[in-house]
Amino acid sequence: MPNTAVPSRLTATRRSASQVRPGINGRSLAGHLAQNCPVASPEDTNEQVLHLFSEHQHVGALPVVENGRPMGIINRNQFMSQLAKPFHRELYARKSCIAFMNHSPLVVEHDVSLQDLSFMAVANGEKALADGFIITRDQQYIGIGAGVDLVKAIADLQAEKNRLVMESINYASVIQKSFLRSSREDMAAALNDYFMHWEPRDVVGGDYYYFVKHDDGFFCAVIDCTGHGVPGAFMTLIIASALNQVLKETDLHNPAAALAEVNRTVKQSLGQFDGGRQGMDDGGEMHSDDGMDTAFCWVDHRSRTLTFAGAKTPLFILPPGAEDLEVIKGDKKGVGYIDTPMDYAWENQTLSLKPGSRVYITTDGIIDQIGGPKQIAFGKKRLKKAIMECASKSMEQQKAHIMDTFYKYQGEHLRRDDVSIFGFRLD
Amino acid sequence: MENLYIPATASEPEVDFRFDTHSLTLKGESFPENAAAFYVPVIAAVESYLAGRSDTTIQVNVTLAYFNSSSTKMLFSLFEILNNAVLSGNIVVLNWFYDEDDDTILEFGQEIADDFAALEFRPQALV
Repeated sequence: MPNTAVPSRLTATRRSASQVRPGINGRSLAGHLAQNCPVASPEDTNEQVLHLFSEHQHVGALPVVENGRPMGIINRNQFMSQLAKPFHRELYARKSCIAFMNHSPLVVEHDVSLQDLSFMAVANGEKALADGFIITRDQQYIGIGAGVDLVKAIADLQAEKNRLVMESINYASVIQKSFLRSSREDMAAALNDYFMHWEPRDVVGGDYYYFVKHDDGFFCAVIDCTGHGVPGAFMTLIIASALNQVLKETDLHNPAAALAEVNRTVKQSLGQFDGGRQGMDDGGEMHSDDGMDTAFCWVDHRSRTLTFAGAKTPLFILPPGAEDLEVIKGDKKGVGYIDTPMDYAWENQTLSLKPGSRVYITTDGIIDQIGGPKQIAFGKKRLKKAIMECASKSMEQQKAHIMDTFYKYQGEHLRRDDVSIFGFRLD
Repeated sequence: MENLYIPATASEPEVDFRFDTHSLTLKGESFPENAAAFYVPVIAAVESYLAGRSDTTIQVNVTLAYFNSSSTKMLFSLFEILNNAVLSGNIVVLNWFYDEDDDTILEFGQEIADDFAALEFRPQALV
């Protein structure tokens, strides 16, 4: 029998042994789907095939094999309807069974990956999924694979990959949260009425906060690093180490100076110097242009002042009894980015706060979230309105109302970014 | 030079740069996982379109409802190049479309107008 018996265009190219990689669960090659089933030969008549089909009721497709080489597949339903036509049984009963055979089924070598196989099956049309496909080893028939088994194996593979990724991200989240623990502890010790809502979009994220309690006051920062998910979380760790280094040596009473120092440290650690530009270098290496937007604040107990230095992050202040929130804008430069000069100087703004004043800092995740009937950003207006609706409540109750308003506005829309909001009331 | 068209995806805007009619349109939302990978080729195309050009009136139409911070940086690079094109003798009109209730996008447009003063900024409220 010449090689042409197997339609070569449908035969998967056999890979060399070195290209074959076992899947993550070790069962992700076409060969693993091979089932034993009755086989016909071209010498078999349609009568005999009819007999085979009636003997094996579960068999939907019958491979036809000659000298170990696959020739085609006979589909039970098509075969039966052909034979049921007037005089067909009389005409064809004693003829070779290849009359009603699909001559060009999908034929794959056993070491084809399930992913490649699924693309081939789709390209082959519905037949490969309905009739199944023939699996060979060195072009010799070894079994037939069922479409439903292929779909199931792909679904299992996907589920397994997802599980591994999620397991790894969930553990990354444990690490990221542990970086926030000391801030949480200091916050609880320094403030009586406050909330800190931190909600990364993808379990881990690029939002971060920092809080240090001193005898004469406290330092706080809410930080939005570029990116979210895993790359964002990487950035928060770089920022965290820069903060730890800088804030030990810098006077926390001067947030602008601390910002400038963090800017230098981040630019150095990421190699983001002036004159550079994000993109590919000649070696095809991707240059980063990452950094953070943030508000750095020092709250001084004795003088009842708040000193604020903002990098593209505003501060919202609600003095007791006020009818609306005051927005204190930050500087327009972010921290660490290529186009922020190494010696850039942020400005401090010092505000006197009456007892009972409330202060809010949020990253852009809430304000920029798309939602509502017009599918536009949540915006500052809605945030201010939500706060004013519960202006006299405890900070914890305010958080519940703000987030409830936000979630309702977001509705069915995709979360676009990490969400963080910090609020506190001064005694 | 050939026009550039990239269809929108859930996280990337439609890019419809008709260099032959000097009309550059960006529309949709922009929050790709890797903003540089998306914008670097787009910006490169605009750079080569602008190379050596003068006495041209270029209409830039931007209708973006959302863009993340890394996209913002890339958009700034784009506007910087367009701003420079004005300095070399072209007119660049920035038609900034925003929903009439969307202060966030309007504010962002105004920031761009402040930072890139050579662009002829025309905010267009969509009712």
